[in-house]
Amino acid sequence: MKKMLPESELARDERFVRTKIEDRIFDPRGPKIAQRNTGPARMGVDRPAAGERSRSLMHGIFVGEIQALEGAGRTCYDFDDAEAPFQLKLDMARQCWDESRHCEISVKLGDHMGTEIGEYTESTFLFAAACNPDPVFRLCGVNRALEGLAIDVFKSMKDFGNESGDPILEFCEDWMLADEVTHVKMGSDWLRRLTETDPERRERALEFQRTVDAIFNLGGFRGEDDDNPVQLARDFRRLAGFTEEENDSLAELARRSTEEARQMAEMATAALDASAQNT
Amino acid sequence: MSRITITPDPFTLIAYDGAEITAIIEDVAALVDFPRDVDIDLEVDEELFAPLTGHLSDVVDGRVRLWISGGNFEDSRLPRQFAPHQARDDLAVMLLRAKDRLSDDFAAAPPDASLSRGERTAWDTYAVGRAGRLGLPMRRQRQLYDFRLQHGFTDIADAAFDRLWTAEHVTWDGIREICKETGATDRDTSKIPVDLLRQK
Repeated sequence: MKKMLPESELARDERFVRTKIEDRIFDPRGPKIAQRNTGPARMGVDRPAAGERSRSLMHGIFVGEIQALEGAGRTCYDFDDAEAPFQLKLDMARQCWDESRHCEISVKLGDHMGTEIGEYTESTFLFAAACNPDPVFRLCGVNRALEGLAIDVFKSMKDFGNESGDPILEFCEDWMLADEVTHVKMGSDWLRRLTETDPERRERALEFQRTVDAIFNLGGFRGEDDDNPVQLARDFRRLAGFTEEENDSLAELARRSTEEARQMAEMATAALDASAQNT
Repeated sequence: MSRITITPDPFTLIAYDGAEITAIIEDVAALVDFPRDVDIDLEVDEELFAPLTGHLSDVVDGRVRLWISGGNFEDSRLPRQFAPHQARDDLAVMLLRAKDRLSDDFAAAPPDASLSRGERTAWDTYAVGRAGRLGLPMRRQRQLYDFRLQHGFTDIADAAFDRLWTAEHVTWDGIREICKETGATDRDTSKIPVDLLRQK
């Protein structure tokens, strides 16, 4: 079986449609919407299109779980025991079991909300974090960055379930959240153990994680303001082993991402307006 | 025959065609038995994309004024492309609600921008249920979830949903009664306008 599988070779059936990142970047509607008030990004029953936004995010969570499963699974297989100890692979195998369960729970939550597999497109950028050939870097990308994002997303969904009085959503998200905290903790523990005698490799791995975290902020998707649909879950991140300094640093990174996205939207709008005036 | 106008004409940000939308409206108007002497204006906001969806149906000076997010008509798997089947489903619901407004049963109903979220979801449920019985592929669970968000995840709300979903005849007073029954009437009023997406 092939080792180091690229994103493009992920197996999907005909229900799944993969989105191209360029479609979003070059969508002329993006800059226009960025200039409009479409209500609080934070999830709530009184924001416009609350149901549709929840369904869309739920589908995003579902495909994210598939990719997390694939990432952990690849780590079990891609490395020999010298690169990745057998105990680490056992942890990854346990994570695969958890992620499989999360996939099934997410499909059922999608049913509960009235959506179905493949109704929305899939972007595979999460799996890209699991493609690093160094197992330590990959742990940082998957178990600390991706699973850290999962903590933030699940906490936001759990809060939405609580606010809307939906016990099914609230409890499902709470149970999955508990698993994600464990996954991040496993990543933090293995990072420490594998780099015990190599601080320089540890620092490079953490730098890789910061790069992945910046991408996962998705230009304001995650943060600590009402402008951010997904809120940084500091308490759960602390339980997972992130230090307060790391949480502050991520919050700052998220603020910068939001601001950069705002500036890009302004520039794109100006460019579109200028183009329209010239035609 | 109703006169139908579509705005914008032409579309510049998305691959939608006014003539195609007009044809769908004519087809759906016949399906829902919409009065042939009432003109219809449809405004599609082409800046909005999924999941920023929503639609409004009002009657102003005897004309039906419809507004819809471009995201409602967008193929969820092909960005900026028109999905005729989605347009057909949404336009049927919009025209059924507009037809309600033209009747005495809903004469006292305020404009869509002034409806509470509970009232709006209850009315939608009544319309979506009827559209399903006309043969359109409406999704019950989707509507139930939207209804529950505004009326609660309770047995009382689910029973109210079932009544609306299967109802052949509901009045504006009936919609308000259901909102009282589920407790939606007692919910705090949000500062976020229900027609926020229409506001530019």
